Amino acid sequence: MKEITFENALKDLELIVKDLESGNIPLEEAITKYTDAMNLLKLCQEKLDHATKQVNKILGEDGKLEDFKLTDGEE
Amino acid sequence: MNQEYCTVSQINQWIKLMFDNSAYLKKIYLKGEISNFKHHTSGHLYFTLKDDESRISAIMFRSAASSLGFVPEDGMNVLVTGRVSVYPAGGNYQIYVDKMEQDGLGNLYIEFEKLKKKLALEGLFDPAHKKVIPKYPTKIGIVTASTGAAIKDILSTIERRYPICETILFPSLVQGASASKDVAEKIKIAQNYDLDLLIVGRGGGSIEDLWAFNEEIVARAIFESKVPVISAVGHEVDVTIADFVADKRAPTPTGAAEMAVPTIDEVKKTFHTIELKLASFLEIKLKEASLELKKLEESYVLSHPMIIYENQIQKLDGLEENLHQALKQYLVQRKMMLDHIESSYVLQNPQTLYEQKEKDVKNYQVLLLKNINRIFSLKYHDFQLMVQTLKLVNPLNILEKGYSVVKKDGHIIKDSHVLKVKDELNIDFSKGSISVEVKEIIK
Repeated sequence: MKEITFENALKDLELIVKDLESGNIPLEEAITKYTDAMNLLKLCQEKLDHATKQVNKILGEDGKLEDFKLTDGEE
Repeated sequence: MNQEYCTVSQINQWIKLMFDNSAYLKKIYLKGEISNFKHHTSGHLYFTLKDDESRISAIMFRSAASSLGFVPEDGMNVLVTGRVSVYPAGGNYQIYVDKMEQDGLGNLYIEFEKLKKKLALEGLFDPAHKKVIPKYPTKIGIVTASTGAAIKDILSTIERRYPICETILFPSLVQGASASKDVAEKIKIAQNYDLDLLIVGRGGGSIEDLWAFNEEIVARAIFESKVPVISAVGHEVDVTIADFVADKRAPTPTGAAEMAVPTIDEVKKTFHTIELKLASFLEIKLKEASLELKKLEESYVLSHPMIIYENQIQKLDGLEENLHQALKQYLVQRKMMLDHIESSYVLQNPQTLYEQKEKDVKNYQVLLLKNINRIFSLKYHDFQLMVQTLKLVNPLNILEKGYSVVKKDGHIIKDSHVLKVKDELNIDFSKGSISVEVKEIIK
């Protein structure tokens, strides 16, 4: 299974909340959705907590991506 | 004698005084072309202003130069204000520049307005084309110079707010003649990197410095970008064509980064809100459900199950009643039909049936007799006709008219050639017969 991205997880979460808020969902379905939502929430939080800082990249002249570090000094 | 001579310093001071006393030279407006430009390490600018025939030395002190909106260079036409005075140590007069701006800016302004109008007409600024900036981007592209304040501001802001976001810098020229082409090309290249968002811009500068972002080629590249674009050119006050085309305009590069990513704290707060919402929702839902359940439990039917049964009994009774009724009705009907049949005339008087049949037989007898008589007389007539005809063709009738029949050995002779002399023949007459002998065969 493809790993769910943070953004997609958040999107799904928002959808579920909207769904639940709109009412008219049978109880069992509501509970399933709630469980799903809690799982997604946990996933997102884990992702956030374990998020490591991304390395900034720069497109080199040869068309390849390289790590990019800001050089201090004048503009 | 010596007193008649003054020193070099004295004369230069005196001349300086004369210059400084001149109201006209205190503030003059001058236009010319820069040459021999020198940016001294002290921060002061030294250069010459010239026109086709003359030149004048110029100096701009660091304090004045710091507010310059552009980087002066040789060959540039400029408008300056300042005072003309003498530098006693060098014995030369020069203009001390307070303000300097580029000549020909009016043209740029006209160009800007023209392009803006054209692109607006084409619909490049139409809100309908604006793409939504994603809330939680995972990969952001940046088109700007690899050095300078802009990239520094953007990256540090993203790092501070939302370090889990990946960034790719597409280094580009951001000023000078080929900047616009380079920026446009980098925007196009950036399309291939699966980005959620693109920040295009540069730090502050003079209107000429920012000009690349007023070029049509950049505007079109931004418009054609499939990735949402945030423009971030110069400072708050600088508005470029790129800003109009971009899906969102940021006042500064830092502002662009703030628009591009949320802060981790914001996201966590969002989570918390969602969690609360979900929990309260479920609670409400469960409360609703249990209320519903209670209501059902307390419902009349469930608390008095007998009534389900009672109803059924009543229903059954009703059905039984109906059944009896229906059967009764059915029997009555049948009885009535039977009575009707029994009371019919024929069944009451069977002899009439016999009489009727007898009458029919008599009728048939009469008819039969009549038909037989008719057929008999027809056939008798036919017979009479036949007898008449037979009479006409009877050979005896022909003999009666005087003809005779010649026979030999019982065969009628019709041709004399079959006979020979001395043949014996019989001749039958109407009355009687004779026997004769052939005397001669006449040819």
